[in-house]
This record gives sequence, C-alpha cells and structure tokens, in this order.
Amino acid sequence: MMNKTTKWILWSVLLVFLIIYPLVFGIYYTNVFVTFAIAALYAVAIQMLLGFTGFLSFGHAMYFGVGAYGTAIALVHIKGLPLIVSVLFGFASALLLALVMAPLVVRLSVTAFAMIHMAFGMLAYTLALKLRNITGGEDGIGAFPIPPLRIPGVFSIDMTDPTNFYYFAMVILGVSIWILWFVTKTPFGCLMVGIRDNANRIDYLGFKLPQTKAVLYLLVGGFAGIAGSIFALFQNLISAMELYIMHSFIQIMQIMVGGIGSFFGPILGAGVFAVLEELTSRYTQRVELVIGLILILVIMYFPTGLIGMYHHFKTRFFTRQAD
Amino acid sequence: MSILETKELSHDFKGLWALRNVGLQVKEGERHAIIGPNGAGKTTLFNVITGTYVPSKGNVFFKGNDVTKAKPNEMVRLGMGRSFQITSTFSRLTAFENIRMAVLSKRGIRFNLFKQVDKMNDVTEETDAILKRINLDGERDIPASALSYGKSRSLEISMALATDPDIVMLDEPTAGMSRDETHTAVELVRRLTEGKTTVIIEHDMDVVFSLADRITVLHHGEILAVGTPGEIEKNQEVKDAYLGEMEV
Amino acid sequence: MDATTAMYVAQGLHGLAYGMILFLVASGLTLIFGMMGILTLAHAAFFMLSAYFSYQVMQMTQNFWLALLIAPVVAGIVGVLCERFLIRRVHVMGHIGELILTVGISLVILDAVKAIWSTDSLYVDIPECLQGLVSIVGMEYPIYRLFIIGLALLVLIFMALILYKTRLGMIVRAAVSDADMVNALGINVPLVFMLVFGVGTWMAGVAGVAIAPILTVFPGLADQMGMDAYIIVVVGGFGSLSGAFLVSIIFGLLSSYGVQFVSQLAPILMFIFMAIVLVIKPVGIFGERE
Ligand SMILES: Nc1ncnc2c1ncn2[C@@H]1O[C@H](COP(=O)(O)OP(=O)(O)OP(=O)(O)O)[C@@H](O)[C@H]1O
Ligand SMILES: [Mg+2]
Repeated sequence: MMNKTTKWILWSVLLVFLIIYPLVFGIYYTNVFVTFAIAALYAVAIQMLLGFTGFLSFGHAMYFGVGAYGTAIALVHIKGLPLIVSVLFGFASALLLALVMAPLVVRLSVTAFAMIHMAFGMLAYTLALKLRNITGGEDGIGAFPIPPLRIPGVFSIDMTDPTNFYYFAMVILGVSIWILWFVTKTPFGCLMVGIRDNANRIDYLGFKLPQTKAVLYLLVGGFAGIAGSIFALFQNLISAMELYIMHSFIQIMQIMVGGIGSFFGPILGAGVFAVLEELTSRYTQRVELVIGLILILVIMYFPTGLIGMYHHFKTRFFTRQAD
Repeated sequence: MSILETKELSHDFKGLWALRNVGLQVKEGERHAIIGPNGAGKTTLFNVITGTYVPSKGNVFFKGNDVTKAKPNEMVRLGMGRSFQITSTFSRLTAFENIRMAVLSKRGIRFNLFKQVDKMNDVTEETDAILKRINLDGERDIPASALSYGKSRSLEISMALATDPDIVMLDEPTAGMSRDETHTAVELVRRLTEGKTTVIIEHDMDVVFSLADRITVLHHGEILAVGTPGEIEKNQEVKDAYLGEMEV
Repeated sequence: MDATTAMYVAQGLHGLAYGMILFLVASGLTLIFGMMGILTLAHAAFFMLSAYFSYQVMQMTQNFWLALLIAPVVAGIVGVLCERFLIRRVHVMGHIGELILTVGISLVILDAVKAIWSTDSLYVDIPECLQGLVSIVGMEYPIYRLFIIGLALLVLIFMALILYKTRLGMIVRAAVSDADMVNALGINVPLVFMLVFGVGTWMAGVAGVAIAPILTVFPGLADQMGMDAYIIVVVGGFGSLSGAFLVSIIFGLLSSYGVQFVSQLAPILMFIFMAIVLVIKPVGIFGERE
C-alpha cells in the first residue's frame, strides 16, 4: 500500500509533468498527447461499462461521435457560443442519446447488449453519412469557429493556439477522468462490480438492476460525449469516419491491452496505442492487420493485460523474496 | 397470523408441473422447514415466492399483500432475504465487500455517487460487526472465490440476513458440507435466525428435527404433509415417499 | 396480371431470395452459438472470404459449379483451423473473450483480403444456364433468384436431415445437451464441436458464393451481410433456428419492399423492427431467458 506522502508526491510529479510537457516537447508531441488524453477518457468511460460492470459494447463510437457533432453543430449555428457551453452541448447530446437508448438496452444480456450496440453503431454511422445537410456526410463539419476561453472583462485565451488548447483539454479531460474514478469509489461503484460478478445476487439484495445500469449507461455515454466534444474542438473537424465501427473496437483493445477491470489500465492501453500508432503509421498502412493481431495475441496470451502482468510479476517477485 | 402464504400455487416448466396447488403457510416468528426428496420442487417453490419466476397459477401473499408478480428486488425491499442452494456470492469481491453490499442495501444507499464508500464509517463498522458474528473476520480481505467451502456457505447465509429481513428463506444452507461443517453451519443458522421468521429447505433429517418448529413436506410438487417435527416423524405417507424414492 | 401486382411479386421474390441468403448465414451462426455456446463475430468474415474464394476459382476455371463446391469448403477449413487453434482456447474466458478474439480474426481476414484482392469491387458472372428469366403462370422470374432460394432450401433440408435423422446428428445433439456424458461414452466431443463449427462456416460460405454475382465481391461485404445476420440472431433469439428463419424472411422482405417505398431509409426499417422486438422481449422472439 502506498502511504499518503508518496501518493501526494506522485500526483505532484504528474501535475508538474503535465504542465511542463508542451514547453519541453514542442507542438507536434503536444498534439500527440492531446490525442492520447482524449482516447484515455474515452477508454476509461468504456471501461466503466466493460471492466467494472461486465458489459461489452461494440458501438460506443456513436456517443463519441454525437458528442463531437453536438459541439460542432452548436458552434456552426450559434454565434458567440462560449467554449465551455459548446462542450456542454456535446455532453448533453450524448446524454440525450443515452437517455433514448437506455430503456432499450438495460434489460439485455451481455451478448445481446454487445450485438445491439454494434447494430446501432452501424446505424449511427449510416445516418451520419446519409444525413448530409446536418452532418456534412463524408466531408463532415469542419472549420467551425473555435471560441476563446474567456470571462468577459477578466481574461480571454485564444484556443486556436495548440499550447493553450492543450491546457484546456487537460483540465476538462483530467477532471472527467477524476470524476469517473471517484464514482468507482462510491457505493454506486460497488454496485457496478457487483453486477459484473453476480447480477442475480444484486437483484436479490434489493437493488434495482435496470435502473442502476441505466444510470451507469448515461454516465458512460455522457463522458464518451465529452471526449468526442474535445476531439471536435481539437481537430476542428468531425466526419462520419469517427463513427465507423473501428472506432468502437479500438477502445476495447486499449482496455484489453492495458488491463480489463482496472481503472488505470485503459489509460495505459491508450498510451501504448498512441505510441504504436506513431510507429506503425510510419512503417505500414495495415493498421487493421496490426490491431487484429494484437487483439488475438493479447486475448490468447495476456488476457489480463499489462496491469495484470504487472501484478503477476509483482506477486512472483515478492513470494520469491519470502522464500 | 401467516406472514407468508401461498394459495394454489402451481408452476409449469414446459409441461413439467414442478409445483401443484401448493398452499404454504408460514407463521410469524417460526422456523419452518421444507423437506422433500430430490426434485420435489422445493427450490422452485422458493424461486416462485422470491420472484425469480412468476407462477403459472396461484398467488403469493407476503404480510397480507399480493406479491405474486413482485420481482426479487421488490421482495427484498418488502423484507425478504434469500440464500441459494448453489452459492451465489460476488466471487471476485472480498468477504468484507460481499457483506458491505448487503449493508448498503439495508441502509437504502443505492444511488450514491457522491461519497466514497470507504469513508462511510458506520457502514464499515456494521459490516465488520457482521463478519465477526459469522467468524469471518479473519478472512475479511480474501476474495469470496478463495474462501473454504464452509466459509463461503457462511457468507452466503449471512448475505441473506445482512439486509435485516423480516423473513429469511434459506435454500439448503448445509448443501454439500461435511459432517463437521454441517454442524458449524447449523449452529450459525440457529444463532442468526433466533427469533426471526425463517423458511429453510434441508435434507438432513437430524438438522430439520432439531431446528424446525413446523415442517412442510413436498413431494412431486405437491404438499404431502404439514406438521410439527413430532407429527411428521410418525407420518406414514412421508416415510413412504422417502422410501419409495430410495428404491427407484 | 397487371404491372403493379407483377412488381409486388417480383419485389417479394427478391426479398425472399435475400432472406434465404440471410438465413443461411444466420443459421450457421445460431447453430454455432446455440449448439456450442460460442459467440463468433468472425462468421461474416468467413462468409466474405468464401465469396473471394469463389471469385478466385471462377478466375481460374470459369466454372461456377466448381466455385460453389470448393469455396465454401475452403472457408469451412479456415474456420475449423481458427476454432481448433484459437477460439477453443479462449472459450473458458466466456463470451467477452470470444467476441474480442473473433473481432481480431475478422480484422486480420479483412486486411488480408484487401492485401490480396485490393479494395475494388470484383465481378462474378452468373453461370449461363441460370441467366435470364423464366415464366411461370404468366409471371417472369429471374432464374438466379429462384436458384438461390432452391439452393438455400436444399442446404437447410440437408442440414435438418443430418441433424435429426442420422446417428451423427444424434451424437451432435447429445454432445450439446450433455458434453460430459457423451465424452464418457468415448466420443470425441471437441471433434464433434469442431465439425459443427466447420459446417456452420460452410453454410455461410455457400451463402457467400451465392450472393457474389448479385452484390459483387468487396471488403464491405462482411459488414453489410454480417450486420444483418447478427441482428437476426439477436432478434430471433440466440440459438433458435425457427426464430432466425422467421426474422430472416421478414428482413429480406423489409429490405426489398423498403427500397421500393422509402428507398433511403430502408436499412433503418430493420433497426426499428429490432428495437420494437427487443423492447417487448429482450431475449428475442423465440429466445429463452438466459
Ligand atoms: N429452470 C427449470 N427448467 C425446467 N425444469 C426445471 C427448472 N428448474 C427446476 N426444474 C425441474 O423442476 C423439478 C423440481 O426442481 P427443484 O429444483 O425445485 O427441486 P428441489 O426439490 O429443489 O430438488 P433438490 O433437492 O435436488 O434441490 C425438477 O424435476 C427439475 O428438473
Ligand atoms: Mg433445490
């Protein structure tokens, strides 16, 4: 167990690292880091569903996408929309979609849940392609105004500057991840793992399963939406491609690689993927092949992911010392 | 006064009538045992009462309310606890976390997303007290899946009781136990259900006769006899049912 | 018969043919799931793979019948290999493990296909004897659609006969309901399961060959068909053949009449249908409580 002081030191080091990162590594790697952080929030949100509660979804890209479209469309149509409100628009759109979907999906078995999400994910992709006048189809919505972060009369920070945006994104994404982490520590978090382990018993302890799942579902959808919203602001572009089914698979892979069931696993996984993407895109076009092979290898040989491996080696190391 | 009552309860599994016109009556404060040969329909009766299934026919009354269609969580909220014949705990959670889940439910903490559970001292204290009472304080932080069989059964039983129900339904608490383990488990059940309305399914006749105030005998989904242990012991039909089963 | 009725009947026939193809894919899927409890997302990839194999055989021999014979069998063999060396090993991890593994397999197959045959649409000709129209009671029908319906029926009747009328079928059904028991009788259950997986894949393969001349062969084939097949299995109820059949036909008809009346929105009809069914019955039309 870590004691309080080491914990504080670690957090401070992380904070300092995040603050000086853009100053040390320059614009290119700052942008790589933002991409990674967006993926991290997205993966952590999915982990709440998959690792903690045991529900696999092959369609959550629709929440990411709706969050992104929500923000982009709001910025296109509403003049002078404050930055934070545009993010809230993304959050609210994803939440709304989750609200509509929840009654449909909370009573499904794990398997049906996965399949249905794949189907709805495809539907969302098709709609994003077809409803051209709303979504811009394949070209998407781009070059919408990115408002500055400002409090009138106090300050106004230009968000088209990558370093400024980096800090903004870190705060939003960091706080979001912290909120999700906090939820796992609450009684509701206990319920989540309880559902994963034995949903029947949860029912027989007097908890309402569908309602509990619905609350979780809203939470996950909403935060995936925030990830999408930041993505739209970051890229200044959102197209139907982001809704493609591949973008639902990648998060699951990040979770598997990082460690299913652990909160920080997905962040680690997202980091590994960010590095892998940097490397593979330099050497090969065959991203699908690489991802497919990684999936097969991980599930066959390291089903508990990097975090699982770490624990495995740690126990082995300590037992050897004990001998 | 019957706290729990079923009227003409029948349940049909695709043509197999696992229950037929069962009229069970459980009085407030009694320990009521349900016995019967394998496949008699005991677990099915529990499932129908506790809300796993809606019965094909008949009604269930609990505290005077018609709860025939109530779901398991509704039954629990009305004050019913249940343990399972096949251990049904949270395998990856520790003994402490298992019990805590029940304590949370008992305290009505169901949708709290705003306070860390570790910081709810009263919950922790109550959970630890329960663990101590069932002699699991030594296994507090061991995952349920790593507990010995006897201990995991204790956990199973106390989960049913930790919500502090008005009636507790125990489905073969001693299932699969050795003689010694059975003895410990029976004492645990006796201690925990003192003064509480209890319905218990049990195979071991010694256990039944020592624990129960009244007994209902189920055979081929029908009630064969109801009575005190003394009456049931003398009942010829009951003997035949058990003997007949053995010959087969 | 007037033109409108003729149009309706023709559309119905198209829907029926598509529905039968869907059923070939979905029944293989539901066979694998219902019998072995394996949840595979690679099914559509094998379906697509078979379509590519048939294109290849056609390129080499110009013989459709040879393609119909060879391609599904090769696809089935690939499927069996995947089952033997990959899927079987993660079965203990439950459905999530299987789903993730089979997604991995699909991605590898998809990319391999793109690497070998490029991403273009490849054209497969309808064999000469199946081209054109045939008139029955004053109506003209495209022969190839009738052929597809007939082929699917043939495969299904063949399957039903094996399953319910032969000793092998008996063993398969027994192995499914009580694997340990059958194992104890000295029958190699893993082998039986491998066989079922192979046959399920083969059925998808037959569908792949049959559909190739109509839809052309392209990497998106798996997505398009696979999605429908998975929805069918979910909506019909996991493991239920009759459910899969009913929903396949409904989907086939929905898609052909849908294109007629609401064109753009045709794919959405299926989702609406799915949503309605699942709201009323989350386990699917003929599904049992899990
Ligand atoms: N879900 C089910 N589907 C079909 N049949 C069932 C189901 N559950 C139980 N049965 C059948 O109903 C009958 C009664 O079963 P039940 O489990 O209630 O017996 P029991 O008295 O609890 O037996 P045991 O002493 O073995 O626990 C049995 O014949 C059993 O096979
Ligand atoms: Mg029983």
